[in-house]
Amino acid sequence: MKKFIFSSIALLFLISTGSGMAGDISVGSVTPLTGKLAVYGEGFQQAMLLAADEINAAGGIKGNNLKIVFEDNNSTSKGSVSAIRKLITIDKLPLIFGPASSSNFLAVCPIAQDNKTILLAAESAAAAITKCGSYVFRVFPSDLLQGVGVAELTNSLGYKEVVLTYVNNDWGVGLAEVFKAEFTASGGKIIDELPHAEGKTDYRSEILRMKRHNPKAIVNLTYIKEGATILKQAYETGLNVQWLMGSASKSPKLIDLAGKASEGVIGTYPTFSQETPQYKTFKAAWDKKYPGKKTPVFGEYNYDMVKLTALALESAASESSDDIRDALIKASQGYIGTTGDKSFDESGDVNASYGQWTIKDGSITDYK
Amino acid sequence: MTGYYAQLLVNGIIAGSIYAMFAVGLAMVYGVFKFINFSHGELITWGAYLTWMFSSPPFSLPVYISVVPALLITVGIGLAQDRFVYRSLRQSNPIAILIASIGLSYMLRNGIRLCWGSDLQTFDLPLSTGILLGGIYITKIQILMVLSALLFFSILYFLLTRTLLGKSLRAVSDNIELSAIMGINMKKVTWTIWVLASVFAGTGGILLALDTSLDPMMGMNSLIKAFAAVLLGGAGNVWGALIGGLFIGIAENISVAFISPDYKDFISYGLIFLLLLFKPRGFFGIAGGVR
Repeated sequence: MKKFIFSSIALLFLISTGSGMAGDISVGSVTPLTGKLAVYGEGFQQAMLLAADEINAAGGIKGNNLKIVFEDNNSTSKGSVSAIRKLITIDKLPLIFGPASSSNFLAVCPIAQDNKTILLAAESAAAAITKCGSYVFRVFPSDLLQGVGVAELTNSLGYKEVVLTYVNNDWGVGLAEVFKAEFTASGGKIIDELPHAEGKTDYRSEILRMKRHNPKAIVNLTYIKEGATILKQAYETGLNVQWLMGSASKSPKLIDLAGKASEGVIGTYPTFSQETPQYKTFKAAWDKKYPGKKTPVFGEYNYDMVKLTALALESAASESSDDIRDALIKASQGYIGTTGDKSFDESGDVNASYGQWTIKDGSITDYK
Repeated sequence: MTGYYAQLLVNGIIAGSIYAMFAVGLAMVYGVFKFINFSHGELITWGAYLTWMFSSPPFSLPVYISVVPALLITVGIGLAQDRFVYRSLRQSNPIAILIASIGLSYMLRNGIRLCWGSDLQTFDLPLSTGILLGGIYITKIQILMVLSALLFFSILYFLLTRTLLGKSLRAVSDNIELSAIMGINMKKVTWTIWVLASVFAGTGGILLALDTSLDPMMGMNSLIKAFAAVLLGGAGNVWGALIGGLFIGIAENISVAFISPDYKDFISYGLIFLLLLFKPRGFFGIAGGVR
């Protein structure tokens, strides 16, 4: 009997390691299929599968089919960690698509790095991801780039002197540093600079400090809740300025919370052209595979991520993660996907172009 | 430039009057029962959330009416705290009561999260520019905050000095055993203290929420300021709590002129340290007790 149990266990192991069956090249994906991000997760999965189908229809990778092993993370960091542990230790996959939301992604970063497993992100913007390590890449632009975008916006609107305020955390401080360097280098002057704490409900003291300098424009690098509270309380305090913000506060929720105080805000956000042939091909393929369905949020980034991965796997010298990593960096150089140029820099980040948004008549529109 | 400092001073008085309303309940409970009630902050949060609940669908009552059931329930929570937790622990070790109050605080706070989530909520009030008074902006809600504090403290003063109930309350805080021997109705006194603490905390919470917004941590954050106020005024001293609250509100708002506003909480935390080190009985806490 004992022998039987042991051999059954051995058999189970054989079956479970069978994901590397002949004819398949597998990569992993930690995807929120349940939990609060499940609404997005389904779209990510569909976009990834669309790309995989196209790759396989065109002959696959070195004659093998590309297979994505999806692991659900229940939209939590804890779930992400157990999912990636399974993909690394049991499925032994050399390349994994990381989970959505920066905090979940940051939770799995060190595990991938320590296990020399390549980790790719398609939706995570936090600047801290840049420092995750040499095995971590993302096709989504880092928030740090926004600092440059906001500086350009400020200059283009002709504001030479601004007050700068930002959320006092790694993200906000990093973003503010980039903005400052960029803005002062182009001849701008920062009259006053003040951090504000995350999650407070009363920013009146901060607003008074801003008001003291009678600025024409205030650069406010913050989130939605903080942004809305500041806008609202500034309005009540009679502070009438041009607010310049980033993409982290670009949300209808900002208008819900701040009401008419949010009117006229101008900000930047990462964008890509929908007029390129690459985008049109994607759109046509999407409509064919999922007729009547809108393209999902960040779907284009997920699609690009899988396409780029296939190129890397195709040209990689072997299936070892180091070879795939070298091939990935090489394949990305000059690669134009649906979301634009995906050339990885030395820290695994991509460049981006920025659009401008504003709030007009209670809704978010493009600023022209 | 003087306008700037005047505005800071006014902001300080507004913040201070709310801190004082939070501190007074803490001081009274300490004065009589000799323990720091950590779950006092949750009375602030519950008062605010309940008002918000009654003023939004399906109830959709006007805010000034929803205050009534909200305060009644808050008082109920305050009395229930005493009835089910503190009363049974009254004769036990003070550490046990302290830990129980911390546990109660967690339970009530997470109850808020369970019912309404952790997200920031706001009262759907029309947005308007504050009233400009001699170069100083003040919103209607802020005027209401100061007026309510004035009204509540006047009523409290009248209650404590002019009524038999108030006098027995002060007697009990002086010496609980002796007062019981003298025939003071302890049940009534205990009841009064919890009702007063809950009403002050709940009202303060509602006003704070109207002025800013609601989140489950609002009570906990305000409680730290209330601690500092109570320590400054002397534990158990109601009038010390009033002056302590005002002092802290003004001090931290004026400090904004010199340090980054993000670090203004440093003032109240710093004060707690200094007072505990050098003047643990506070400036007015001559002998403790409700005075």
